[in-house]
Amino acid sequence: MGQAEWVTVPISTRDVDGPIFFTAHEWDTIEAATARIIPTDHHPGAREAHVVRFIDRMLAGTQFIFPAADGVGWLRMEGLEERAWQERIEQRRRFYREGIVELDRLGQERAGAPFVELSEADQDAVLEQLSRAEKPAVYSLDADDVGLGGAPAGNQPVNEDFLEFFPLLVLNTRQGFYGDPVYGGNENRIGWGVIGFDGPPSLAATMDGSYTTRTYMVEGAEWPYDQHPEVLRYRRP
Amino acid sequence: MNRKKQPEPVDVVIVGAGAGGATAAKVLSEAGLKVVGLERGPWLKPEHASGDELKFLNRNFIWQDPKIKPRTYRPNDREEAVVTNFSATPQVVGGGTTHWGGMVPRMAESDFKLRSLHGDVPGASLVDWPITYDELEPYYTRVEWEFGTSGLAGANKWEAWRSRGYPTKPSPLSQIGRTFATAMAKLGHSTFPMPQGMVTEPYRGREPFSENGFWQQYPDPGSGKSSTLISFIPDAIATGNYDLRPDCYVSEILVGKDGKATGVRYQDEDGDEFVQYGKAVIVCGGGIETPRLLLMSKSALFPDGLGNGSGMVGKNATFHQYSFSVGLFDREVSDPLYGWAGHYMSLCSFDFYETDESRGHILGSLIFPSMIGHPVNWSFPGRPTWGQAAKDADREFFNHSMKIGILLHDLPVEENRVDLDPTVRDAWGLPVARITHTPHANDFAQERWQVRKNGEILEAAGAKKVIPVNMERITGNTSHELGTTRMGNDPATSVVDRWCRSHEVPNLYVFDASFFPTATGINPALTIMANAWRCADRILHVDRHGWTED
Repeated sequence: MGQAEWVTVPISTRDVDGPIFFTAHEWDTIEAATARIIPTDHHPGAREAHVVRFIDRMLAGTQFIFPAADGVGWLRMEGLEERAWQERIEQRRRFYREGIVELDRLGQERAGAPFVELSEADQDAVLEQLSRAEKPAVYSLDADDVGLGGAPAGNQPVNEDFLEFFPLLVLNTRQGFYGDPVYGGNENRIGWGVIGFDGPPSLAATMDGSYTTRTYMVEGAEWPYDQHPEVLRYRRP
Repeated sequence: MNRKKQPEPVDVVIVGAGAGGATAAKVLSEAGLKVVGLERGPWLKPEHASGDELKFLNRNFIWQDPKIKPRTYRPNDREEAVVTNFSATPQVVGGGTTHWGGMVPRMAESDFKLRSLHGDVPGASLVDWPITYDELEPYYTRVEWEFGTSGLAGANKWEAWRSRGYPTKPSPLSQIGRTFATAMAKLGHSTFPMPQGMVTEPYRGREPFSENGFWQQYPDPGSGKSSTLISFIPDAIATGNYDLRPDCYVSEILVGKDGKATGVRYQDEDGDEFVQYGKAVIVCGGGIETPRLLLMSKSALFPDGLGNGSGMVGKNATFHQYSFSVGLFDREVSDPLYGWAGHYMSLCSFDFYETDESRGHILGSLIFPSMIGHPVNWSFPGRPTWGQAAKDADREFFNHSMKIGILLHDLPVEENRVDLDPTVRDAWGLPVARITHTPHANDFAQERWQVRKNGEILEAAGAKKVIPVNMERITGNTSHELGTTRMGNDPATSVVDRWCRSHEVPNLYVFDASFFPTATGINPALTIMANAWRCADRILHVDRHGWTED
């Protein structure tokens, strides 16, 4: 069946609380790592947004790749597209499984304990070692120092197939924090709240016209050239 | 043995159902011709769309999966091509008009005669178009009114004459648009509402966009965004003369002993193979897939690919490039920009479009402001990637950032081309398109100058920090694929004639952007549709009377 005919399966990323793919230890380790990537401060962070659940569901299989448009249920992929995603998920599973082993190895080396038991400072140090770069310093409009973030994709599709474990983990953490809640993260839209994105209450609300951003636009703006003779020539009766 | 029946022969077979293919289908089927459309992608409907950033930008629901449909790129003949998702463009019913932002400016009159204006530019294959603005104007108007557009006619002081205004009023202004307009006015420059492929008032049974903010790269679950999916294709289907078959992958155009096209060979979604015969074949696969299909269609009569006796199929490829400057604003000083509100684009300017040689380069592009992404993919160069600094930067600048972009008017160069990769195959076992491309020196000069200028505009707008994002090479990030079956009067230097008919195969046509003799500095879809309508009219009035029944 072609993509347009994929059926919707009535499942949710929240059907069970805990892991589907990860072991309990893997879950705890990734949860701790995401909490250093988007930490909790006076606003919630990755831990409160349940980013680890987002990552677990992404790795669980092709059943949680594409939600139904209205966010109720998930599309059952078929054919070549499903096989491509199986391959992609396999590769990511390997990155995560091996990455978690590496986090623990570095933790043992540094402080004699697995990653999840380290202090936040030691966890940061392990992530620095893993990323082979220092933890990004505070960004300032005046300073010339630059972080590692790249240009926006020009709103083109983003391909993460070429990322290795650490940058993949960072990107997936962002995706879980800022993506639509149906994917299992961004619990209660807290990621959006942190940055001031007044996003839709549900995917369905983006379809039926009930969600609009008009209040953030300049309603009723008059164009300065509305009365220009060249414009009036084309005025409709 | 195939259990399914071979299809009945028809008048016209159209490969692809995007901007060009759907326009041709509408015009020909409304005139009573029997038309079959073969689209390799799915026929997704508006109800498959919603405001889901991960689905449409990160998991690529409507973009080709590079694991299934890879392409390769190399800068020149001396280097090995590598697999890349070059010029991702939705391969679905509706094609590029499903994901697009719907920018529909018209070409400038100068765009039709660059060779006359600039002469022989070394290293480039600059030519005049074999048609003029005056020939295309009636079709621009037809498409603007049939397809559904919005804008303020007469407000672009650089625009050529037009016979009629837009059917619906300009779309509402965004904060980013206002910021851009204010800065441009301060610098003595002009702006005007972006002409948009959208309806802003009830029109032809359609309702305005909900302004849910999910616009550029998102198909519209409503009927506000104009796409061929919700306009020309339903028009064509309604005639009863257009049989559109999605998930059907054409692998070869067939020719008879007389050198005329007889039809196409294709596979349906189950992998079953069919031959669809027709009296004419119109190829509308886009500027990369179209030359690929012609080059794959080798036969005794056409050993180098169909219609490629001149060796020009695939050459002179241009892709535009979207480059920009990012501006970061101080939240203590500036009001929020709310870049996610509205529909990505709002205003634009043509003040830098026409050549001014004092800038150190020829040609120019339209410029337009926009947000720098929805929450997940929002970024700027130098953004901290993790830790407290990352969270702080997201909080500080998500609502206090914007960019001003350009569409590079790149020069055609004969060696820049699309051909068949000798080793890489797609999931169907067919050779993939290989792109060989190095920008002309004028492309770099134009791009650097305009990106710097856009930075000055951001500073005038109050940005505290401006970050230029310049190209290192062309990546195909505009989804504009142009020039690969060049239109011209001379069969030795072009592939199709002024009616987009093959010089060598009299019943074979190319109606997508492959025909563009030069790139222009604007989005091509409106011109693709207007030209497809013009050439389909020619088929109706002239060519079809010469078709034989065999």
